[in-house]
Amino acid sequence: MRLLVPILIATLTLQAQVPRLSEVQERRLGNGTRVLLVQRRELTAFHATLVFRGGRAEEPTALAGATDLLARALYGTTWPEDVDPGKAKLELDTLLKQEEGLLEAVRLERLRQRRDAATSQLPSLEASLATLQSRLQTQLSTSPLADLCTARGGRQAAEATADALVASTELPLEAFEFWCRTEAQRLRTLQLSRFSGARAALSSELQRRGVQGMALLRGAALPGHPYGRDLADHLSALEALRWSDLRAYARRTLSPDRLTLIVIGGLGLEQALPALERHFGTLPTSPDSEEALLPEIPADLGDRRVQVALGGEARLLTGWRLPARSHPDHLPLRLAAQLLGGGSTSRLQTRLVRQKTLAREVTLQMDLPGSHLPGLLAVDLKPAEGHSLAELENALQNEILRLQQEPIPQEEWVKALTLLETDYLRTLDDPASLAKALGRAWAEGGDWRLLELDVQRLRRLSPEGVQAAARAWLKPSHRTTALLEPSATEGLDPLEVEMAKVLSTLAAGRIQDLAQREHLVKEGLRQLRMLSPEERRRTLNLLAAQLGPEKR
Amino acid sequence: MRVLLLTLLATLTLGAQPKVQPFVLPNGLRVFHLEDHEHPLVRARLQLDLAPADTPAGREGLSALALRMFQESGSGVAKADDFDLLLDGSGIQLTREATPSGLAWQVVARSRDQDRALGLLAENLLQTVFDPATLRRQAAACWRDQEGLGASPQVRLRRALAVTPGARPTQASLSAITLQDLIAFRSRVFRPDRAVLVLHGDLGLEQAKRLVLLNLGSWASPVRPVGDGDPRPPTAPEDPVRIPSPGLGLTLQAMAPPPPDLTPEVLALLDLLVPGDPLLPPVRVTLEGYGLVATLEPGPDTPAPQAMAALQARLAALSQRGYTQLELERARGAWLARRSLDSLHPEALLASALAEARGRGATPGSMKALSLEALNAGLRSWLAPDRFRTGAAGPPEVLAQLAPLQTPVK
Repeated sequence: MRLLVPILIATLTLQAQVPRLSEVQERRLGNGTRVLLVQRRELTAFHATLVFRGGRAEEPTALAGATDLLARALYGTTWPEDVDPGKAKLELDTLLKQEEGLLEAVRLERLRQRRDAATSQLPSLEASLATLQSRLQTQLSTSPLADLCTARGGRQAAEATADALVASTELPLEAFEFWCRTEAQRLRTLQLSRFSGARAALSSELQRRGVQGMALLRGAALPGHPYGRDLADHLSALEALRWSDLRAYARRTLSPDRLTLIVIGGLGLEQALPALERHFGTLPTSPDSEEALLPEIPADLGDRRVQVALGGEARLLTGWRLPARSHPDHLPLRLAAQLLGGGSTSRLQTRLVRQKTLAREVTLQMDLPGSHLPGLLAVDLKPAEGHSLAELENALQNEILRLQQEPIPQEEWVKALTLLETDYLRTLDDPASLAKALGRAWAEGGDWRLLELDVQRLRRLSPEGVQAAARAWLKPSHRTTALLEPSATEGLDPLEVEMAKVLSTLAAGRIQDLAQREHLVKEGLRQLRMLSPEERRRTLNLLAAQLGPEKR
Repeated sequence: MRVLLLTLLATLTLGAQPKVQPFVLPNGLRVFHLEDHEHPLVRARLQLDLAPADTPAGREGLSALALRMFQESGSGVAKADDFDLLLDGSGIQLTREATPSGLAWQVVARSRDQDRALGLLAENLLQTVFDPATLRRQAAACWRDQEGLGASPQVRLRRALAVTPGARPTQASLSAITLQDLIAFRSRVFRPDRAVLVLHGDLGLEQAKRLVLLNLGSWASPVRPVGDGDPRPPTAPEDPVRIPSPGLGLTLQAMAPPPPDLTPEVLALLDLLVPGDPLLPPVRVTLEGYGLVATLEPGPDTPAPQAMAALQARLAALSQRGYTQLELERARGAWLARRSLDSLHPEALLASALAEARGRGATPGSMKALSLEALNAGLRSWLAPDRFRTGAAGPPEVLAQLAPLQTPVK
């Protein structure tokens, strides 16, 4: 009873402290564009975010990387020729079309050269491309301050996520009309003048990035599903993606009925709405715009394990398939995740890092890579010196069982709620965070109000409800474990190291299931050991010849 | 008409932005207060500046290790675990940051927890008792942090270049640090007259004064230890930093910290003018907290030494570029307009107040007075060949092609 009173008081005062989202005003423009506006009179600038529902998950395999390319080539900058090319548009279009043709010819010639290196036209094609690109360069702005947004003191950024394309801009208040006009014009024109540079930069980044632990976990946990796709495995599709393909894709997917505009700043709806209606409200809706049908993946796919040697540090990655954000169990699981890994005194931090000193570092991620569809709850553990991944795996499983079976102490419950609510408060305080959270709630859950509703519903949850959700979802049949070892090549001779690399690259292009991929590499290495050194070298050369030049 | 209305509105609301109100405690602690009641939140940032002389030779990494010890040791009042429970129990976010130029504590709390938040900040700062039992473990953790073993090769390279060659922590320098070194460092650096505190959010000036006096008023300057803190001898430039990353492409980087005499106004304009300059491609340049970073990712057919020469040639060309009056005017206009964006970011308001407090903030008056000659001289001085530290990440056999740096950038 003595304990209950302070908890009750704490809960009541929390309710009094958490502000409401009543300040969000919502309107629909004539063409279906949704507008959310938050007026903050003290601000002398505004933050605007455009959220296009869809994202990486809705890309067809042949257009893998399209959302990332749009984030870079459409929204990375605001060059005059991209939003208002005027009379030069025809010439610019012609040059971009010619560049597209030459880029494709160079790509095909490189593929052909792998079969017949003797009669290559590659040098002449590359020379023509270089000449064309210098002509194209004369049509493009070069000075950093030619960027229309930067010149007005603005900043912009764009991000491709699993569930949306998100583009944000911040500008002084007086540039609001300019922003509306420019953004609408950008969508009408879809010029993508820097397409080839953006594609080359993305491809180079993916090649230099190397294999990522979390991407491996996603691939193994969600095989064949768009959420499990790693763009690095689709480099050839990305390199074949053309300027006109991307424009056509943008016309289909960046349609007003899939767009929510979020504006937060020192202006009210009555000031903002006329300009929004005039510019965004007149954007045409795409006749081809439709919701993509995405495959379902059963959560109880079975307990999956992958053992991979990536080099670097040893890590234990564990992921559980979770329900989508719209599912009633999603919120209890969010609280379960908070109890397990939120804050510096969470269960995993306290018991695994501080008390048992089994782990050096714990990171927990909810909704990986998104939550419009069922995603993952992922735990990343780095072992402390002298401890193995197997020890960590046991300790993690013990913590999951404790969460499922032992009553949750009240102080811990209140602490978890407090941390989530103060997170929410910080989100409200920062316009960029608020816009992002509203956009996510809409793109993932279908309603921006979820941002506030979730906080209210959190208070109505019971510890027993959270434990029931943990029992239903954090179970072995929903689990995938990836054991990342420091190095697979330790103890292997250099030829085997090379062979492992070639086999992994070949398998990545053909097999999505990571467990199968690993098995194939191991089996290949086992068979290699049966051959003489000379035969091994010949086999390696034959396999390496199957790789594209970019992967050799 | 509409533009006029918006401009008028902007001018009127400019007055509504939080005004910086400074005050000084009797112990010399400078405090800057920004009152803002929009949300029930309070932020505090305490900054301690570091000088090269604060770290004795052979003890590189002392400041980063000290910060870790503040995080992992308890105080006379609570153990480290209990301290963190107090923070989490009230939803108070306390972060600590070590940069080559300083140490910072940042607190964000609900306004109803402001007393507790400031109290915990003061407790961590003034009452932490370093636990000698954790020193070796923290030194090892510090080494892993510094090396960024889990990070990508590009991030590790950037991190290595951010620190002056002679000041880079090594496993040996971190292992050599004793409890006495930490205590002496604390006496040298943790002094109210070397600190600046910025408070922002839902608390009035009188309340802020009361809170700061109550919690940090007793902070006294300890006696400065004798014989320590002598400046390190200057170190010769080293070979390019090499980060081996088998199987990945080559990345080359050059990093130049801003010259000490570069004015904040020149720095602010170069931030707008340099990245994306047409002379640079395929080199990319960004201006980051610790300096100007130029990156080149050459194709697989370009030999590493040739790529390094190309990177240096681009930087040399940029240093000789010379901006025009028109470019200066445009950059000045963009900077003046961009100032209003600070109102969107509470953290930016704090950073800007802090920069102003330390005399490192650009002001509209000085910006208007900035001449073209000063801008171009600033660019040349920043890009002077001897300011650059260079490095590469890539396959070991490719890195081996890079000769020791014989000649500076021309």
